[in-house]
Amino acid sequence: MSLEALYLSLRLAALVSLLLLAAGLPLAAWLAFGRWRGRFLIEAVVALPLVLPPTVLGFYLLLAMGPRSPLGRIWHSVFGHGLAFTFEGLVVASLLYSLPFTVQPLVSAFRSVDPKLLQASAVLGASRLRTFRRVVLPLSFSGLVTALVLSFAHTLGEFGVVLMVGGNLPGVTRTVSIAIYDSVEALDYAAAGRLALVLLLISFSALAVVYAVNRRVWSPWSAR
Amino acid sequence: MTPPAVSARVRKEYRSRGATSFLLDVDLEIPQGFTILFGPSGAGKSTLLDCIAGVTQPDAGRIAAGERLLFDSAARTNLPPQKRQLACVFQSLALFPHLTIEENVAYGLAHLPPAERRERALEILESFRAGHTAARRPGEISGGEQQRAALARSLVSEPRVLLLDEPLSALDEEVKAGIVEDLRGWNAARRLAILYVTHSREEAHALGERMIALDAGRVVAEGAPGEVLDALSARRAAGRIRS
Repeated sequence: MSLEALYLSLRLAALVSLLLLAAGLPLAAWLAFGRWRGRFLIEAVVALPLVLPPTVLGFYLLLAMGPRSPLGRIWHSVFGHGLAFTFEGLVVASLLYSLPFTVQPLVSAFRSVDPKLLQASAVLGASRLRTFRRVVLPLSFSGLVTALVLSFAHTLGEFGVVLMVGGNLPGVTRTVSIAIYDSVEALDYAAAGRLALVLLLISFSALAVVYAVNRRVWSPWSAR
Repeated sequence: MTPPAVSARVRKEYRSRGATSFLLDVDLEIPQGFTILFGPSGAGKSTLLDCIAGVTQPDAGRIAAGERLLFDSAARTNLPPQKRQLACVFQSLALFPHLTIEENVAYGLAHLPPAERRERALEILESFRAGHTAARRPGEISGGEQQRAALARSLVSEPRVLLLDEPLSALDEEVKAGIVEDLRGWNAARRLAILYVTHSREEAHALGERMIALDAGRVVAEGAPGEVLDALSARRAAGRIRS
């Protein structure tokens, strides 16, 4: 079994889900509580990866990372090499590809916090930041877990975007889904089956965690 | 003469499909002590309270607490609720479900060191006979205890003004009477201005030193509770007010 590909995918998924959580919190808070009427446009942009074919997203990302693009040029001048076909390139592509899987659960969790609690916090003198930290975040626990787990699982299983942006370089950009594809191409169904089973088990466990948390099988506080 | 604790001239219009669906248009003064804001559902009582607390912005008017200007549409002043230094107990109580009662009560004391926060929270919970609930969460205590905790939380920072939006509506008479007695006791020495919203005649009679009656967004009577209730009965008999 290609442990190298599995390890690379796990590393990519862990890094991307953590980075997305950090970036997704302020974005989701703005989408949930902001006052700009045009927020729906940003929501539509965030949701684009849900409906775009991965090859389309991958194609645009490949262009954006190319040596003639502003991003590609800046990256090259700072790091001395291009962004496409590198692990860093995969991270950037995955951040965009999995963005809705982080932001949407967070927005829906934030919006479901009772507005009266936010008003009570404000009347008690708390700033918006303190209200967010002390009231909104703890009450959005299941949304946080859902965002983290879904973005992890989605990144772990991505194929099209990875292939377009990263190619198939062992140890650098060859993720587990590409390794499965390679094994099938080489008619090594046993190797493909083992990797596929691992992905299946990880995906099932991730979804089981999401549903358990949302059904409050485990809850950090009791609400009778 | 003592200046009013709160003066509020508020105009707030709600529109639906191009037409005015509700208009709150009031000018009133709230002195120290209990003032009952009385009226049927939909009279605009909660909207007025929300405007004073700062969680709803009036279209026009001026709201001041003592010398402090909270809102003035002409001067484009609108203090956010965080800076109004008012206390408010919402109808739903809005206790934070993930915090213990002690943490709920200490929430508004963030500027104090933790030991002092805890001490003051426990002290006020005791004075509202809810000390035994300190370590529990709101979902684990009774409605009456939640009510006592919500009052303690709003009063712990010693505000000059307390806004209460039908806080006792869901409680049985005995529990209600106990809480009212404790609130009266608490206020006897302090003389906060308490604006108490209710649509219950019994509560209005038992509590109020002064009463303001609202109907359809306007003040229809004000004065001593007995007089106001009599005036309302007369208006109702004349068919000029909703029952």
